[in-house]
Amino acid sequence: MNEQYISIRHLSKRFDKDFVLKDVNAALNKGEILGFLGPSGAGKTTTIKILTGQLLPTSGDAQVLGIACDKIDERIYEQIGIVTDVSGVYERMSVYDNLKYFARLLNVPLSEINPLLKRIGLYEHRKKPAGKLSKGQTQRLILARAILHKPKILFLDEPTSGLDPSTALEVHRMLLELKNEGMSIFLTTHNMEEATKLCDHVALLNEGVIVEYGAPEDICLKYNKVKKYKVQLTDGTKHFLKHSPEASEQIALWLREDRVETIHSCEPTLETVFLEVTGRELQ
Amino acid sequence: MKTKIKPVHLRKLAAITEVKGKALFSKNFIIMPIFSLGFTLLMKVVYNTAAQGAVNMSAYALALGILMNISMEGVYCTAAALAEEKEKNTLRTLMTSSVNGLEFFLGSLIPVVLMSMAVNVLCVPVSGFSMGASQWPLYLGITAACSAISAVIGMIFGIYARTQVSASTITTPAILVLMMIPMLSGFSDILETISGFLFTGIVFDAIANINSNLPVMDAKGAVILFAEFILSVIVFLALYKKNGFER
Repeated sequence: MNEQYISIRHLSKRFDKDFVLKDVNAALNKGEILGFLGPSGAGKTTTIKILTGQLLPTSGDAQVLGIACDKIDERIYEQIGIVTDVSGVYERMSVYDNLKYFARLLNVPLSEINPLLKRIGLYEHRKKPAGKLSKGQTQRLILARAILHKPKILFLDEPTSGLDPSTALEVHRMLLELKNEGMSIFLTTHNMEEATKLCDHVALLNEGVIVEYGAPEDICLKYNKVKKYKVQLTDGTKHFLKHSPEASEQIALWLREDRVETIHSCEPTLETVFLEVTGRELQ
Repeated sequence: MKTKIKPVHLRKLAAITEVKGKALFSKNFIIMPIFSLGFTLLMKVVYNTAAQGAVNMSAYALALGILMNISMEGVYCTAAALAEEKEKNTLRTLMTSSVNGLEFFLGSLIPVVLMSMAVNVLCVPVSGFSMGASQWPLYLGITAACSAISAVIGMIFGIYARTQVSASTITTPAILVLMMIPMLSGFSDILETISGFLFTGIVFDAIANINSNLPVMDAKGAVILFAEFILSVIVFLALYKKNGFER
């Protein structure tokens, strides 16, 4: 059985009279990526804040590395890394000095800073004040700082929000590398492509309630009620065929005649599932 | 419920102190010690010129410079540095990077107190005041205690300040009170009485006593300094316990 790094059971959080999380259940196993997917205000950031000891839950239980979230202290912080939209950098200090500061705090050998800077593509900028970095470079610096001490769990709150596509792809590549190295990742996003690409499990969160939970492909297949194929032929025509013996024969015929340019199954995406379940769009 | 005192790791404390100390040399903060030294020099020139050599006014110039330094550097620099950490979102990062509140508190205080002490020492030659070897330890002890009280008060204001601008706004009235009451104590009995209960008033009187070869500080003064330090720490802890360094 996989080692469970995060377990969330019946977690609720209320601000005044408004519930922002209601009876949330989820788990993150070692070496997996768990994504909380939902629009703004769904409760994603609140979940991260509770799991990292920055907020107390109203009810329910959440454990990180076996420690209840209301008892998280330095020992846990030494084993987790956090990247949120409010993670700041010391703007007057150089990129290198920013990492050096946290290396000293987290007891990481200074010799590990330059290899990390090379890995995240900031080595050439190591002497530059952090305040002069672009948004993408700053985000990479924050990510580097969060993984500097090789944490067991990395928490990421909207890690690619506001980044250009190529930088976002770089971040995705790095997260998959970290996962392959055994790091567990808890991420929140409103980007369904990101969730589908990166996550082993996702929780679709709407107004504080998990409306679907599971592997992205399983969720999509579950809502694949009308099975359809989209076929584009060499003459440019497009055909949508409902799954049936006749459709299969027709496709087989086109294949024999070598007339098929592309063929796709038309299962729903996480975005269409979210829309179907909640009536709301993710973006 | 028992409140557990968290251990201070010297490695982390040294790292925080170093970074905070370097930050004090940035243009936002270095102006304070420079201003205090400049003010001391200005007062020396102005008062000695006004006295036309009849009286040596260097002790008064020193007292004014020390008042300025302890009030402004201690309160403003600590409050503004804490506010800056909040404004730039680095405070939360630190607190979720295995730094505990006590380490951050001490790491923030130590450089300010050290910088303040360095200026307290430099103010002596700048003011032209001469002090006997036996008077130096008392001078250093009293000014160090006052710098520490002032820095803790700065941390209290820092809890309320969200930005450096708001730190500047909310500390200004306190700085004026701490400075002006001892400065004007010679003009009013009420102000003199109040000044006797302020740490800035006690350091102001102590310098006058050193100049007059009188006992530097009586037992009442020592008790007041101790009580004000403890009180400021208690107020800080009470506020910190509610919501950490943020309001």
